[in-house]
Amino acid sequence: MTTSSEAIAIKSKDTSIAEDDYFTYVDGLGNIPRDIYRHVESDPLGDLPRYSIHIVIQHFLVFTTFIVLAATGMTLHFSDLFWAPYVISLFGGADMARLIHRIAAAVMVFAAVYHLFTIIGGSLLKLLKGEFDYKRTQIPRIKDVHDLIHDIKYFLGFKDYRPKMDKFMYKQKLHYLAILWGNAVLIFAGSSLLFPEITARIYSEAVKFLPEILVKVFSETIANLWPLPAFFQDFARLMHVDEAIMALIVVAFWHLTNVHLVPGRFPLQWTFLTGRITREHQIEEHFLEYINNLDEIPEEKAYMRKLLEEKGFGLRVKVSVEDLPRVY
Amino acid sequence: MEATKKYLTFSIYVAVVFIVLTSGFRAEAADKENCLMCHKYRFIGRIDKNGKRINYNVDGHMYTKSVHRNVSCRDCHTNIKKLPHDPVTEEVNCANQCHVKPPFAEENFSHKKIIDSYNESVHGVKSEDSPELQKAKPYCKFCHLNPIYTRVDEKRIAYEETLARCQNCHQKNGVTQAYKHMTHRLRHKTSRSPQEIVSLCSKCHQDVDLMKTLKVSDVSMTAVETYNHSIHGKAVALGSQEAADCISCHASNTLHDIYKKDHATATVNKDNLKTTCKQCHKNTNDRFIEIAVHSRIDRNEKPALFFASFGLKLALFATVFGLLGLLSLETYARKKNGLKWQIRRGTTWRGESKR
Repeated sequence: MTTSSEAIAIKSKDTSIAEDDYFTYVDGLGNIPRDIYRHVESDPLGDLPRYSIHIVIQHFLVFTTFIVLAATGMTLHFSDLFWAPYVISLFGGADMARLIHRIAAAVMVFAAVYHLFTIIGGSLLKLLKGEFDYKRTQIPRIKDVHDLIHDIKYFLGFKDYRPKMDKFMYKQKLHYLAILWGNAVLIFAGSSLLFPEITARIYSEAVKFLPEILVKVFSETIANLWPLPAFFQDFARLMHVDEAIMALIVVAFWHLTNVHLVPGRFPLQWTFLTGRITREHQIEEHFLEYINNLDEIPEEKAYMRKLLEEKGFGLRVKVSVEDLPRVY
Repeated sequence: MEATKKYLTFSIYVAVVFIVLTSGFRAEAADKENCLMCHKYRFIGRIDKNGKRINYNVDGHMYTKSVHRNVSCRDCHTNIKKLPHDPVTEEVNCANQCHVKPPFAEENFSHKKIIDSYNESVHGVKSEDSPELQKAKPYCKFCHLNPIYTRVDEKRIAYEETLARCQNCHQKNGVTQAYKHMTHRLRHKTSRSPQEIVSLCSKCHQDVDLMKTLKVSDVSMTAVETYNHSIHGKAVALGSQEAADCISCHASNTLHDIYKKDHATATVNKDNLKTTCKQCHKNTNDRFIEIAVHSRIDRNEKPALFFASFGLKLALFATVFGLLGLLSLETYARKKNGLKWQIRRGTTWRGESKR
């Protein structure tokens, strides 16, 4: 049974392949204009689901321990600066600060493991149900690079609208990968600072497992340039500090500003506590995810239908099978 | 009114009693020969040929609280034979026997053993040393000034409970001081805090000009700097009591036996390193002792690390400024599109787009 509405649908879908398409056709709603986010009502606490309770808990663990780790670690590292003695006395002296640093690190490692469990477990569960969609995950795609270029073009005024992005946009994927990398580096470097005796042995034992040719070629160079455990320990010291400073600066200046201070999020984005995202934010930066939301949440679809009708963007012609003879 | 008057008189009484009680009458405990008769005057002194003013005042109160309170003056100042005495030209010899007998000992007390071990160490004056080196080498009094001889107040251990038991038989005064003196040295390697040790050693070893005249190696030249940049140094600088100071690694329990690392008995000699590190790092092994303690990332010595560090710094700046640039560009464009920087009530898209 063919209806004219299907015909319209196919037609609009064909045109929506073009990147800068202003309208996006959604079944049962009609054409949604790209800048509809300028007209929606949003609850600052969030309208649409974004993070599960696990992610919220993990984020909370990570961000509290991060503050403690940064405060103790930076003070120990910059011990010669004027403020260091005052901050260290807040933690009860250098020895206590070192202990607190280790405890906080353990909690953060726990959060990381918890995260891996939920992410891998959740993905497996979705795979079994057949609901897994890699586009809605943090897995990087070529599209992210195109989105970035498109977005910069938009910022500079060469494009009219922002790209249609998935649940995680290029910024978030970049940050997520940076956290994965940074966490791994910090955990490995930090544990080699905490257990230098064990790591010194592991590193020197690990050389034995390398292919023989590699060892033959490099052992002389290694022996000449640096003794092995000494090199790894120095490298760990370097990496731990550098990675920590990088993380601190990026979080303090970029992440915090991006999520809480820029217009549209100011003065506080509640997502990290409620796990929900505002409608205007979702449509602006995660348009494709919003389309998914429309499919999954009937209330959202009803809201959008009403809004489109008010603004005059709804289905231009209401067609039903009974009406067919009259229209054509 | 009456109450105020009563209160005032009472507080005056209390103040007088307090002042009388705390002002000492027991300054001359060890001064059997009454040296303080003259030396108690604050400005007793002399101007030498170079015009330098020297003060010979001895603060009796301070002296009675020092470690040497039971040693009479002439036990150390042995060359004084008559009164009034001749100008003192000789330095005090700490290897002298003083007339204090330690408990269960046959002989009088002397610092001779420690001085012997010190003279053998790298700091002891040797006949083959150059004149500059001989001049630069410290002797007892260089490090052991009297202020440091004052009693140690140990705050970290609950000694009061333990002391209460001692005081069942022993006199409170003596046993308290002895106990504090002993327990401190049992718990810590030195009676000084790690911070004091570091600043003491740094006094000479940080002095680049002095070290240059002594022609020390590059490693010794930067030893203080590299220590301060290590985790040991950083923790100690912030008041750690557990992290290693100079003495922890460079001397055994004799404290004065500091040797160059190629000397066979040096604690930092390759063969002895394991024992030295084991004091704190319980699981020391052959590979662990290869880790550099005084680590310095130098372009010639450790090129790989030097360039890694440079690359990391570059990456740091590139990331931070790249991201902040993107952020400001994005904010600029979004504001231009009609976004208002205000507290949200329903929507923040209140402005007209200027695009």
